[in-house]
Amino acid sequence: MTRHIATLCLCAGLLSGSAGLSQTPDPLVPKTATWDSFHGQLNAQKYSPLDQITADNVGTLTKAWDVHTGDMSDGTGDLPATVWSATPIFANETLYIGTPFYRILALDPATGAERWSFDTKSTLKALTQPALKNRGVAYWQAKDPVAGEACQKIVYIGTMDAQLFAVDADNGKPCTGFGTDGILDVNQWNKTNDKWPLSLLQPPTVVGDHLILGWAGDDWTFEQAPPGTVFSLNARTGALEWTFDTLPASMRKTSGTANVWTQMSADAGLGLVYLPVSSPSPNFWGGNRTEEAPYATSTTALDIETGKVVWSRQWVHHDIWDYDINSAPTLIDITVDGKAIPALIQATKQGFLFVVNRKTGADVWPIEERPVPGGDGTVQGEVYAKTQPFPTKPAPLLDQSVKPKVWAIADAVGFGSCSRLWSKLRYEGMYTPPTTAGEGAMAYPDSAGAVQWGGVAFDPVSQTAVVNTSHIVQYVKLYDRKAYESANNGSGNESGFSPQTGAPYGMRLEVARNWLGMPCWEAPYGELVALDMHTGDVKWRVPVGASQQYGFFMPESWGSPTIGGPAVTAGGVVFIGASMDAKLRAYALASGKELWEDQAMAPAVANPAVYAYKGREYVAFVAGGNTILKDQVGDQVVAYRLPQ
Amino acid sequence: MGSVFSLRQRAAFLLLVASAVGCALAVFAYVTPLTGVNGSLGALIVIGACVALAIGAFGLAFVEHGVWHILLWVLLLFGLIGTAVAGLFLHRWWIAVALGVGLIGLVIDLTLFRRPARNRREERSA
Repeated sequence: MTRHIATLCLCAGLLSGSAGLSQTPDPLVPKTATWDSFHGQLNAQKYSPLDQITADNVGTLTKAWDVHTGDMSDGTGDLPATVWSATPIFANETLYIGTPFYRILALDPATGAERWSFDTKSTLKALTQPALKNRGVAYWQAKDPVAGEACQKIVYIGTMDAQLFAVDADNGKPCTGFGTDGILDVNQWNKTNDKWPLSLLQPPTVVGDHLILGWAGDDWTFEQAPPGTVFSLNARTGALEWTFDTLPASMRKTSGTANVWTQMSADAGLGLVYLPVSSPSPNFWGGNRTEEAPYATSTTALDIETGKVVWSRQWVHHDIWDYDINSAPTLIDITVDGKAIPALIQATKQGFLFVVNRKTGADVWPIEERPVPGGDGTVQGEVYAKTQPFPTKPAPLLDQSVKPKVWAIADAVGFGSCSRLWSKLRYEGMYTPPTTAGEGAMAYPDSAGAVQWGGVAFDPVSQTAVVNTSHIVQYVKLYDRKAYESANNGSGNESGFSPQTGAPYGMRLEVARNWLGMPCWEAPYGELVALDMHTGDVKWRVPVGASQQYGFFMPESWGSPTIGGPAVTAGGVVFIGASMDAKLRAYALASGKELWEDQAMAPAVANPAVYAYKGREYVAFVAGGNTILKDQVGDQVVAYRLPQ
Repeated sequence: MGSVFSLRQRAAFLLLVASAVGCALAVFAYVTPLTGVNGSLGALIVIGACVALAIGAFGLAFVEHGVWHILLWVLLLFGLIGTAVAGLFLHRWWIAVALGVGLIGLVIDLTLFRRPARNRREERSA
């Protein structure tokens, strides 16, 4: 499938790609326990070699401490609601956390006591998102720190209004050598379709002395939006080193986004940073972007030093489903048919796991281009992709080839509303295009995705990949401008409706539920899946968490939709929050058996952090909640360890 | 010395006390952090239902008229079962247990209500 591998002539440079990096390559079976970035490690394995907590003793875990930051809003007052998806990072013998009020907290890893805090005093307005959001902080340290000199170790936090702050990791004081007095205005580079600021909700990816920076925006609102530029900055000064434009020049003004809003991963040894690139705007109509945009909705590998493309694989051609690539690819070394392969796994919203060679982008298991449905003729100006890539292995995490079955109980309670809705929705697999007809097209998996930003965890010893998945049915309908104004008038809110202003169509996206809020489709609603990456086969699959509506828990056999992701340890344990019931859980890596749980304040919608401090192993969760999952917010950071 | 309350009234009071206990447990679940249902609509519904059950139980003790008594009894039965199930779905097992005790009171009331009036008069004067 070389058609979609944009392999440029940098492969020679690739072999010497680590030159100039201040960081030694990360071994993929780590000898030391590192959790100094959003996904624990730059390879995004979310793996800890710590083995004090094991499958045998995890049931005795006790709460070491919990901290309430106070940085929380349920949206009923003056402030917008908060959505907090930070993973704590452990570095410099300290636990660092960013909050949705854009503060940095430095905590004692053993007690949770605050060592220092830093307040960006950023505006607390939802400028680009429906909520105040933060996914944590990033950490950098000089290769050869100079004793007594400030800012040899730096913590970074971004804000909704596109300011990147750098503070000394030892004391929280601004690093005046970075940007202007410790603040870099990233919005200075927002020159095209600057309808909103480049929101820095995801911390930068720190690779050597580079900060690789993406941003988030205001999806679904405008046809034309800022185009998805990725920036490389000097970690000490904030100076711009290079930029990478995900969209072709011809499309940057007429479309936009295809940004990188989630974490990236990197292989410092190969000198590559891997970008999970989102879809272009507007998300559900592509008549303004009919030419090829090969880096949109892709995994793209860039040379860390130059920002030049080494290879790129597009996972959705002409994306009109908002199937952003929403998680960092997980870098893995696997042995397939006796052959060692430096690979990566790219999980997608569609529930696919694409596995390719991370040096070249070539398939590990064949990825086939298969025909997909075209439009029904109701949408003007659209040019549909004729094929889409399908991995032959691993199997999809959920079956998106057929319409999910209606749940008879929800249908009965809804007096047949579910089956009536089903009959009005077009669905010929997940790539059924949006339509203006009937109630629209079914969107399954939903726009939030079968897999979210938690991505895939990987145990490099047993070569087991672990990923949580959600099974949610939505439906999307396009409205021509006149019909949109009519449909949206009088609703009193924008729930479900988004204008895509400038495009000929607005849209409405809804979860398929009956009047009581019951899902119209059958369980399970979320699962935890383990795969043997020698073969690509499923090792086990279990429902994860419990769904909750109005406080009522549904049977655990139904599972829960999840946002967030797992962490795995050498002790044979998988830790995960992520579920609607706001519980934190541990599972046996070998079998998927649930071994431990505890109640948190709100769903823990990021990956947990695993670290060792003064000889003891801890697992820490941020319970911050996410309105996509449930209207419950939290400000809790909680850490567990074994009893003394 | 005999009680001023009949056995049937004492059965209704058992239901009343059970409902009050269920209500207290639901309030605790609603206001206490980290119960998993704190602040939830479901817990509020159970609180309201338990209050309604308690009022109904009070009425059961004093409504003598056959039709109204039967109607109240049936409503309380559905209310008890529904609220107990709601408690189970909140994972508040003790609410279901409390309402199970209340159900015993309701059953006692039924057995006494079905007995001839003469016997009930005897009970009252015992």
